[in-house]
Amino acid sequence: MKKKKVKKSLYLYIVPGLFMVMAFVYVPIITNIVYSFFRLSSYSSSMKFVAFDNYRRLFTNDTFPVMMRNNIYYCIISLIVQVGFGTVIALVLESKLVGKLNSFYRNVYFIPSLISLTAVGLMFNFIYNPTAGMLNGFLKTIGQPDLQQIWLGDKKLAIFCIIAMSQWQYTGYIAMLMIVAFQNVSMDYVEAAIIDGAGPIRRAISVYIPLAKEQLLVCSVITVIGAFKLFTEVYTTTSGGPGDASQVLGLFLYQNAFLHDDMGMAAATGVLIFVITVTLSIIQLRITRSGQD
Amino acid sequence: MKKRFTRLLAMGIASLMAVSLAACGSSSGGSAGQTAGADSTAAANAGNSNVKTIKFFHRFPDDPANSFIEEKIAEYEAAHSDIDIVVTSAQNQPFKEKIKTVVGTAEEPDIYYSWAGEFSERFIRENLILDLTPYLEADSEWADSLIESQMVNYTTDDGMVYGIPFRLDGKVFAYNRDIFDELGLEVPTTWDEFLAVLEAIKADGTYTPLAEGNQDQWPGAHYIGTLNQMLVADDVRAADFNPKTGAFTDPGYVEALDKYQQLVPYMNIGVNGMTHDMARQLFTTGQAAMCYIELVEITNLYQETEGTEFNWGMFVFPTVEGAGNPNILTGEPEGFVISANTAYPDECVEFLKWFLGPEVGAQQAEVVGWFNASKGVADNLEDEGLREAYDLIMNAEAMGPWFDASLYSTVCEEYLQQISNVTNGDISSADAMAKIQATALEAQTLAAE
Amino acid sequence: MTTKHINGKKVFLTVLIHLFLMSLVLIILLPMCWLIMNSLKTNQEMFRDSIALPATPLFSNWVNAWNKGLYNYFLSSIITSAMSLCGILVFSSLLAYGLTRLNLPGSGLIFVIVLGGMALSEQVALVPLFKIIQAIGLYNTRWAVVLPYISFRIPFTMFLLRSYFLGIPRELEEAAILDGASRFQIFYKIIIPISKPVLASAAIVNLNFVWNEFLFANIFLENRKLMTIPLGLMTFQGDLKSDYVTMLAGILIASLPMIIMYLCMQKQFVRGLTSGAVKG
Repeated sequence: MKKKKVKKSLYLYIVPGLFMVMAFVYVPIITNIVYSFFRLSSYSSSMKFVAFDNYRRLFTNDTFPVMMRNNIYYCIISLIVQVGFGTVIALVLESKLVGKLNSFYRNVYFIPSLISLTAVGLMFNFIYNPTAGMLNGFLKTIGQPDLQQIWLGDKKLAIFCIIAMSQWQYTGYIAMLMIVAFQNVSMDYVEAAIIDGAGPIRRAISVYIPLAKEQLLVCSVITVIGAFKLFTEVYTTTSGGPGDASQVLGLFLYQNAFLHDDMGMAAATGVLIFVITVTLSIIQLRITRSGQD
Repeated sequence: MKKRFTRLLAMGIASLMAVSLAACGSSSGGSAGQTAGADSTAAANAGNSNVKTIKFFHRFPDDPANSFIEEKIAEYEAAHSDIDIVVTSAQNQPFKEKIKTVVGTAEEPDIYYSWAGEFSERFIRENLILDLTPYLEADSEWADSLIESQMVNYTTDDGMVYGIPFRLDGKVFAYNRDIFDELGLEVPTTWDEFLAVLEAIKADGTYTPLAEGNQDQWPGAHYIGTLNQMLVADDVRAADFNPKTGAFTDPGYVEALDKYQQLVPYMNIGVNGMTHDMARQLFTTGQAAMCYIELVEITNLYQETEGTEFNWGMFVFPTVEGAGNPNILTGEPEGFVISANTAYPDECVEFLKWFLGPEVGAQQAEVVGWFNASKGVADNLEDEGLREAYDLIMNAEAMGPWFDASLYSTVCEEYLQQISNVTNGDISSADAMAKIQATALEAQTLAAE
Repeated sequence: MTTKHINGKKVFLTVLIHLFLMSLVLIILLPMCWLIMNSLKTNQEMFRDSIALPATPLFSNWVNAWNKGLYNYFLSSIITSAMSLCGILVFSSLLAYGLTRLNLPGSGLIFVIVLGGMALSEQVALVPLFKIIQAIGLYNTRWAVVLPYISFRIPFTMFLLRSYFLGIPRELEEAAILDGASRFQIFYKIIIPISKPVLASAAIVNLNFVWNEFLFANIFLENRKLMTIPLGLMTFQGDLKSDYVTMLAGILIASLPMIIMYLCMQKQFVRGLTSGAVKG
C-alpha cells in the first residue's frame, strides 16, 4: 500500500464537529458514570465518594419496580401500536383501494407528531379531566356514564392514559416512515408476486414487509430508545402521580437531580438508562445484521 | 500529525472533563462562571459604572401580583438611579427546581423567594442566606413595624432571622352561603358537626359537598398538615420536621390520614385527576358547597365569580380533639431572603425594607389582595372578605408551616405520594405511614452527612 | 364467480377501508377540534360543559394568549432554532465532507464515534451537562441550549449528509481540481449547492426537534426572554390560578408553525425523516 502524505489542515473539516460531539455528548456521559459513585447536590460544594450506594438505593427503592414496569409497558405497547399497527396503516394506505384520499389520511395521521410534547401533554391533561374533560363529556353524551373514569388520577389507568397519548401522537409518524419504505419496494417484486397469484395480504407479508425490514428495525430501535427516554409526557401530565403510579426512569432522574438535590442518584439512574438503551440497540442491530447474512 | 491531532483533541476533552468534575468539587459554580457573569454585567452597564445590579427572583408570575411587583420595582429604580433590579420569575413547581440549581452558583439571585422552614434552612446550613438579625437590631423602627407572630416562621431555632414575609396566608374552608341557607345548614365548628354538614349536602344530592383537586399533590398535604397540627403534639412535630430526628412514629399521624380519608367520599369525583384550581371552579360555579382554600386565593375567587351573584363565607378547619394544638392556623407567611454572597447586602436590605414595608403593603392589599407582615396594611381595606381573612391571621395563636415545604425532600415526596394513594383508597393509613417512616429513617442518614 | 360479484366485493372492501381510516382521522382530529372549540369559550363555559359549542366565539382568547408572552416565546424559539440550525448544518456538512472525501486516516473510527452519539439519550448527559454549562458560565444564556442541541444533532445530520455526499459523482470534483480549485472551494462551490435538497431536509427535521425540545430548555434557561415555546406554554399553567381557555389558545397557536411548515414542505420533510429516522 502506498503511503499518502496527508495535509493536517484537512482535519479542520472534522475537528469542530467531532469536538462538539465529544464535549457535549461523550464527556457528560462519561462524567455521569463518575458522578454515579458520588453523593452530590446542586448547591452544596461537598462531593462524597459512596461507591455503589446510589445504585443500592436505586434498586431497593419502592418506586424502582413501578418505573421499570411503566417503561416496559410503554415500550411494549408502543412496539405493538406504533410499529405494528403503524405498519398496517402504511400497508392499507399503500393499497390501491384507498385512491385519492391517500395523502389526506397520511398527512392527518402525521400532524400530531409535529406538535410539541408539552402542548400535547397540556392538551391531554384537559381531555382526561374528570369533570370538565372531553373524554368523560363524550362518554356522558353517548349515554355511557358508567364508563367514565378519573383517568390520570387513577393509579391503574394513569400510565396507560399517558401511553395512549403517545400512541395518538406517534403512530402516524411511524406509518409515514413505513409508507416511504414501502414506496421504495421495487414494483418488479410486487408484480412477480401478483403473477404468482398472491393476494394483497400475502403480498404484504411475503413481499413488502421483508423488503422493508431494515426500516422496520430502525422504527423499532427509535421506539424502544424513546420508551426508556420517556420524560416530557409524564412531566406535563401526572408528574409521576397519583402516588408514584406513573413514575418513569427519566422523570425519576430529573426529580432526583433538580428537586431532591440528589444528583448522584440521578446519575446512577442515568447510567441505568444508558445501559438499557445501548444494550437494546445493540441487540436490535445484531438482529438486523444476522438477517442480512 | 495524526498523533498531534489526537493529542490536541484529547487535551481539549480532558480539560472539559476536568471542568465538569471540578465544578462541584471546588467552591461550586467555578470561577469561570463568576468571571463570565461579571463580564456581562459590566457590559450591560458600560458607561455607567455606578449602577448596582440586583437580581430578584420570585414565584408570582400571574397577574395581578406580577404586574404589581414589576410596577413597584420600576418605581424603586426611578427613585434610586444607582440601583438596577433584574427580575425573573417562575411558577411554583419550576421555581422549586430552579432555585435549588442556582443558589450557591454564579447565577444566584441577590434576593429571592424562599419558603420558611426546611426549604430555606438547608441553604442556611450551607451559609448561603444572609443573616438579617443585625440589620433588624440596627433599625428598631423597622423591627417594630413587623408583626411578630409572622416573623417567627422566618426565624431559626438559634434566633437568626433570614427572611421577610411578602404575603401572609392561612387555610380556611370557603363555603357557599346560598347552598348552606337552602339546606338550612350552620357553619360547623367541630369534626362531628363538619361530617354532619357534609352528609346533609351529600344526602340532598344537588351539590358536591367538597371541591378538591390533588393532581399536584400539595392540596392533600394541606389537609394533612392541619390535621397533624391537631392530632400530634407540637414538640413531636417539631422533632419530626427536623430531617436528622424525623421518625413519624406518633399514632396521631395515622389518625390524621384516617380523618382525611373520611372526607374523601364527600369530595368531587377524580380528586387525583385534576388540579386544585380546576376543582375550585366547581366551587365558584356553584356546583360544590365548600373548598379548602388559602386566603391568598380570595383574589382568584373574586376574579372567577366576577359578574355573578356569588355569596360566600369562610370558616376555619373544624376542631379535632387530639394531642395537638387546634388554635394553629395552617398557612405560613411566604417571603424573600437575601443571598449571603450578594455584593450589595445593604442595598438589598434597603430595598426589602421598602418593598415589604407598610406603604407598599397597603397598596398590595388593595391591588392584589395579599398582605405583607407590616403592621396596619389592612387598616383602610373596605372589602369584607379580605378584612375577615386578615383578622383570622391576626387572631391565630401561631401559623402552621406548609407541610410540603417543611419536610426533607425525599420524605416530602413519599408523604405526598402516600396522601395521594390514601385519596384513591389504594392503601391503608397505617401502611402509608409505615412507608413514610421508612423513608424518614433513610433521610436521617442522608441528612446527617 | 361473476365480474359483478368481484366488483361488489371490491366496493364493500373499499368502503370498509375508508370507514377504518376515517375513524382514525376522527381519533386524531377530535381532540384538536375540542381544543379549538374550547379555546373560544370563557373559563366558566368550559367548566360547565366542555363539549358544548361556545355561546359566542371569543377570538379575544387567541389575542390574549399571543399578548401573554407567546409573541416573546415565538421570537426566542426562532432565534434559538436559527442559531442551532446554522451550527448543526455547518458542523455536520464539514464533518460529512471530511469523512467522505478526504481519505483521512482514522475516518472510519471517527465515523463510528460520531454515529454512536445517535444512540445516546439526552437524559444520560443531563446532570454533568448542567454542571458543565454552569461552570463555563453559560447557564441561562441562549448558548446553554444551542450548544447541546448542535452536539446532539450532529450524529444524525452527519449520517444523513454523508449518505448523500457518497452519491455525488467524483468527476465533478476532479474537473474542478484540474481547474485549480482548492478543497474548500470544491466544498463550498460544488458540494453544498448540489446538496441543497438534503440540506433542506436536514434543516427541517432538526427544526422539528429544536422547536419542540423541552428537557434541556427547561433546565438550562430561567429568563423568560430566552424561553422557547414549549417552556412558555408551561408558564401558562399557574399554581393557584390558570386561565384555561387562554392556555388552550396558546397551545393552538404554538402548534401551528410546524404544521404549516410541514404542509408547505412535505417532500423535504419526509425525505429527511426516512434517511435515518430519529424521533424528536
